[in-house]
Amino acid sequence: MSRLEAKKPSLCKSEPLTSERVRATLCVLKGILTSSYGPSGRLKQVHSGFGGCVCTTSQSSALLSNLPVTHPILKILTTSMQNHVSCFRDCGLFTAILCCNLIENVQRTGLTPTTVTKLNQHLLSLCTSYLKSESCGCRILVDFSSPQTLLCLVRSIVTSKPACMLTREERDHLSALILRAFLLTIPENTKDRLILGNSIIVPLKGQRVLDSSVLPGILIEMSEIQLMKILPIKKSEAFKVALFCASLSGDFSDTGEGTMVVTYGVSLENAVLEQLLSLGRQLVSDHVDLVVCQKVIHPSLKQFLSMHRVIAIDRVGVALMEPLSKVTGTQPIGSIGSISPSSYGSVKDLCPAKFGFKHFLHLIPYEATICSLLLCNRNDTAWDELKLTCQTALHVLQLTIKEPCVLLGGGCTETHLAAYIRHKTCNEPESILKDDGCTQTELQLSTEAFCSALESVAGSLEHDGGEVLTDMKYGHFWSAHAEAPSIVNWPDLLSRCGCGLYNSQEELHWSFLKSTRHPFVPQTYLPHEATGSADNLTLDCFTAKLSGLQVAVETANLILDLSYVIEDKN
Amino acid sequence: MTDGEQDSLASKHMQTHRRHWKNCCRWKLISQFLLTFQTHRLDYIVDHYLSRHFGSIFSSSTKERTLCRSSLESLLAAYFGGRVGRNNRDFMSRLTCDYFFKCMARERGSEEVLDLVDDYFVELSVGVTGLPVSDSRITPGLVLPRDFSVYRPADGDIRIVIVTETVQPLFSTSGSEFILRSEAQFQTSRFWIMERTKAIMKHLQSQNVKLLLSSVKQPDSVIYYSGLAGISVVECLSPEEVSLIRRITGLSPLALPHASSQDEICNTVLVKFCKPLTFRSKRYVHLGVISTSSFIPHCVVLCGPVQGLVEQHRDALHGAFKMLRQLLKDLDLNYLIQTSDQNHTSSPLVYNESDPLPEVVNGSIQRPRQDTVLRNKSKPAKTQTYSDLVVPSVELETCIIPCSAPKVTPTGTYQTDETLRCFSPTKTRINGDNEPFIESNSANSTENTRREISYENLQITKIPGKGNLLPVREKTLEICAAQGHCFSTIPAGCVLPVGGNFEILLHYYLLHYAKKCQQSEETMVSMIIANALLGVPKILYKSKKGNCSFPQIYVRTLHALQTHQPMVSSQTGLESVAGKYQLLTSVLQCLTKILTIDLVINIKRQPQEIYDQDSEEEV
Repeated sequence: MSRLEAKKPSLCKSEPLTSERVRATLCVLKGILTSSYGPSGRLKQVHSGFGGCVCTTSQSSALLSNLPVTHPILKILTTSMQNHVSCFRDCGLFTAILCCNLIENVQRTGLTPTTVTKLNQHLLSLCTSYLKSESCGCRILVDFSSPQTLLCLVRSIVTSKPACMLTREERDHLSALILRAFLLTIPENTKDRLILGNSIIVPLKGQRVLDSSVLPGILIEMSEIQLMKILPIKKSEAFKVALFCASLSGDFSDTGEGTMVVTYGVSLENAVLEQLLSLGRQLVSDHVDLVVCQKVIHPSLKQFLSMHRVIAIDRVGVALMEPLSKVTGTQPIGSIGSISPSSYGSVKDLCPAKFGFKHFLHLIPYEATICSLLLCNRNDTAWDELKLTCQTALHVLQLTIKEPCVLLGGGCTETHLAAYIRHKTCNEPESILKDDGCTQTELQLSTEAFCSALESVAGSLEHDGGEVLTDMKYGHFWSAHAEAPSIVNWPDLLSRCGCGLYNSQEELHWSFLKSTRHPFVPQTYLPHEATGSADNLTLDCFTAKLSGLQVAVETANLILDLSYVIEDKN
Repeated sequence: MTDGEQDSLASKHMQTHRRHWKNCCRWKLISQFLLTFQTHRLDYIVDHYLSRHFGSIFSSSTKERTLCRSSLESLLAAYFGGRVGRNNRDFMSRLTCDYFFKCMARERGSEEVLDLVDDYFVELSVGVTGLPVSDSRITPGLVLPRDFSVYRPADGDIRIVIVTETVQPLFSTSGSEFILRSEAQFQTSRFWIMERTKAIMKHLQSQNVKLLLSSVKQPDSVIYYSGLAGISVVECLSPEEVSLIRRITGLSPLALPHASSQDEICNTVLVKFCKPLTFRSKRYVHLGVISTSSFIPHCVVLCGPVQGLVEQHRDALHGAFKMLRQLLKDLDLNYLIQTSDQNHTSSPLVYNESDPLPEVVNGSIQRPRQDTVLRNKSKPAKTQTYSDLVVPSVELETCIIPCSAPKVTPTGTYQTDETLRCFSPTKTRINGDNEPFIESNSANSTENTRREISYENLQITKIPGKGNLLPVREKTLEICAAQGHCFSTIPAGCVLPVGGNFEILLHYYLLHYAKKCQQSEETMVSMIIANALLGVPKILYKSKKGNCSFPQIYVRTLHALQTHQPMVSSQTGLESVAGKYQLLTSVLQCLTKILTIDLVINIKRQPQEIYDQDSEEEV
């Protein structure tokens, strides 16, 4: 018996942003995100009352995917951020916090959504064109001849994930490993298009982080007994490999749509097995040393191969097939009929390896863009966080290869950009006002909302109650310890700015971030010497941050522009 | 209950029933009038009066009919205004414009391009979430949303084939039977199948085929052998994708049984390139197909932070192409030419005793009514003044007779009537030289006059019909003399400025028409429509104040119409006339239908199934 429930009418709410509940939940979400931001961010423990695993994290990808969000407006926000993160893997918290700040600030100004969205769009295009321009004072071109910039970039990413629980030594070790793993995926000689390989992350939990390492080639995990069986491996110049994507289990599925009538006494199993064995004979006569199969190999064939001292490995899974085909330099074989001799690949060496409690067969290639990153950490949650961090860093490095520049991190880009926008709209408002029909006051209010949203993202980096400041020359971000004496001598208290580029001993003037100050021109054109000398900079991915900025403003505009929410409650 | 009470109740019931029935009858009648008016008169009004205000999105400077980019952009901007967020409006209209011009090989093929884009819009657009909207772009070629099953980089002559079945022969096809008698037979069959697959691939390779597109999933062995032969494979194409590729390139699927024979395969076409493409770590197949038609294949990549926004933009873009498709087609108009009942169409001429010239409303062609002619007869002295057939630059007096609105008109008309009345005393002097003024002076026979006029009418409209100039007045008028049917068109590309212009204009001309016609029901219907039309600009300008408020706009437009000045629009956008007009006729049709409904039977469908069928039977 089935019973259909009567349909509930849809819920329609006007001006959703004015509702107290929405504001409160938005505030809570912002609080969660803000407190997780940056290297000194607080961790969040997400767990379900029904049990299951516990997630301790401060990363946006883990946080946003686990947070239960019900209100449609918040859903837009979190979905937008998750989409950004799945594209770029970085700057998720930056984007989300900026978006929340913008919504909050704009509501406080009381301007109409039409005006605000228009002006926000203008301010955004000012930002993007400045960040892309030659004169940009917070962008560094990456010099690929030295690893320093890339290493700084990786270290900044690793440092900004406190849930990995790394010591300084471990951070440095891991940053170097990640960079090495990435460099191994770059092909040595490329023609016209650069096709990067990939790094396979191999889990090794319960070990010290310092035991992590990078190996060229592929590690195939197997049990000790399996490994014992194939040992000792006979030595040769090169190992010939046959890589199968077709099943070698003797199954027979592609008979067609019609019926098949088998006369009594005819055994199909025997026929198929006979075929498999003849395949085995061909492999042996072709002097194949290693047979790898994505699916299952028939035990008889396996035995036949091992009798002829051919190593057979099955069930490697579809995920490993592409790296395997790159490492061996061949295409997977999809037929058990005749095999063209050209479809055998080769590896330089095969050796058994043992890391921690796990046994592997290590395939060492001649020259390939595949490497294995053995990642160790003490427990599961920390390992999960570390894995996400590594993936982020590797992806950011890929993005940086495509667009070879980085932005200054540690909040300096945000404050610098805010100073630039303030100066621009104060001194040249005509360019914005001429085609929009907005008043000067509206522009000023909107600029203030936009810039203070950017600055409070930078301010969110400070979690210990310290003062946040900006200097009046470069527009960089500075933070001071909370236990400051009442009469302060700023140059002594502040040592370096957020990104680490500038020293407090210069003749600088500071101002509190929250206070109002005169618009000034932040120094543009970053001198090359300034970046070359500093070896410990905090850097951010250019592509991810730029896109994050755009997505944040667009999402905020989208949310601010909503005047009705119609919900189907069925 | 006494009999008397019952009787009174019954009679009350009878009364309400009768009232209802009476109402129904009246509604039915109105609906019939509406239908007649819509089918026979509305087209006439649009063709004769409204059409003079039409602009065109084709630029008038050149002889060839070329689309004017700026007009198209303002048309699209107005279209997107109500469909996408404010901050994306200009971006989207630019993107659409770019896409349209990029896809069009030559100006003439715009219709073909629009048909194709509209039909295959889903296949021609790719949605990407997580990127800002401003990253949306146009890429040449086709983008298929799947990865290569096997990719072999190729350059030079790249030929492609399409297959719709598995390349590898099967043991048995559906409906047939394969009888296996021995193990050896099985092994040889399998061997033969493999060899045959290999042979087909070898043959394709020899024909320079580098890419195999398949609408079905191919077995592993096919992928393997095609890889060996240096052929890339893309599987599982949707039927729409296959049909799009066929339509662009004219390629038909490969007939497999003949594929391995030694003769050349004719079902292949060249492509410019074929390579993998990545958007946000998702892989796509990028195919540079070469078109045989006037459509140059391009794909639009739509980005947005969330899926919903991307979908919204995609739908809006699709809608824009549908709108353009409509706009660039002629819309046929046909109406009854009113030769038989001319009495009703000609406007009431009011003679000013001091001025011998007749007053004309908007300089439209005036025909003397029978009674005026009679009057002419009675005053033969005056006839002399009509000797000139065409009177150029005559000082005319506009006359708006404060017409007493018929009692049947629904509520809400008073406002407009008031405005009209306010206006009527201010008599404006106009120059009527822009319209040929035809006045018949032959007081002898009215029959003669009529024929002459209809002939004149024919002449006037036919002359500009030939040229390739501005299509605003470009129309071929055919009159079936027997029935008095007239066929005309709203030419392709006709636009009006947005902001209620269409509605106010039509409102104005409908009122004008209502005044002229003598049949009360026609007057009524055109008044109804005219006043209803005004509701749209009223809503549009609801939030505006001061100079842009609705009464101001309305008065200004009317003034401009009466003084023959160009209309000034506060907004810059344009909208399609054909689309608007079709919408209006649909609304009228709908109204006609609603008015003829006499009873609404409400049935409760929810909740639908409370019991199973079985239990019902048991009961």
